[in-house]
Amino acid sequence: MAIEGVDLIHAASYIGAGIAMGLGAIGPGVGEGMVGAKACEAIGRNPSEAALLTRTMLVGQAVSESTGIYSLVVALLLLFVV
Amino acid sequence: MNEIGGIYQLIVRIGEYSFHFNLTAIAMTWIVIALLLFFGYMASRRRHVLPNSMQVVGELLVAQFYGLTESTLGKERAKSYAPLIVALFMFLLLSNWIGAIPHMTEPTTDLNTPLSLGLMGFVLAHYAGIRAKGFKGYIKTYFEPIVFMLPMNLIGELAKVISISFRLFGNMMGGAIIILVVSHLIYSLVLPPFLYLFFSLFIGTIQAFVFTMLTVVYIAVQVD
Repeated sequence: MAIEGVDLIHAASYIGAGIAMGLGAIGPGVGEGMVGAKACEAIGRNPSEAALLTRTMLVGQAVSESTGIYSLVVALLLLFVV
Repeated sequence: MNEIGGIYQLIVRIGEYSFHFNLTAIAMTWIVIALLLFFGYMASRRRHVLPNSMQVVGELLVAQFYGLTESTLGKERAKSYAPLIVALFMFLLLSNWIGAIPHMTEPTTDLNTPLSLGLMGFVLAHYAGIRAKGFKGYIKTYFEPIVFMLPMNLIGELAKVISISFRLFGNMMGGAIIILVVSHLIYSLVLPPFLYLFFSLFIGTIQAFVFTMLTVVYIAVQVD
């Protein structure tokens, strides 16, 4: 079976989806870890504010997660649309 | 992947254009709206100083979000924008939670729902900006540091819509796909309920809250 141009496009889109997701997950991973670490420090210093700090931490993490989500959307487009 | 690929579509052809309607998302949106109307009716049916259980839930939600909006926008503006913010949060919360019920899909897994809500927030924020600063002051913000920053400011405004809507869409869609793939891998044993609990209830609540807060923040940025 000869390899045609369509197969090459599919292979390239799968590889691209993998690379996009893998590289795109680095930044949010580091960022969310830093947010969590700082929140733990702050709670250790001021345990009475734990509820407010946890809420702020979750919102901050959800916002910093967005770049990872964009790479997920790009990967999904590459997988299912191309 | 049959469940994701299979979409009930209504295709309307007008001339050479064709409009595609995702019937599942439309039906789920109407179900969410009906549930919210029912909730509102139940919460305000027998209003009393000693509230019944539904009224307590409604009062908690409204008071919480009035407080959040007042702390960001100030007391005067919160009066006109807080009702919309509360409604936005309740709609998003219920439409994210409804995916946890079998045979229901979140309307937010269709890009059109988050995108239309994001566009609504965008238009509302700019309307608020024009009303607060006048048309001249509003136009002036685009030339803020120097005149040449106009393209940057325009792209920044458009990127807000894309980022806010794709964040919600990507989270819910990614959750749905992960649930589907993992359920196939382990033959739907034990794990799927917990996945639904995490992705639909936990992530859905956080994303609804984030979407609402970001809409408030965008309004506040335009107003100040």
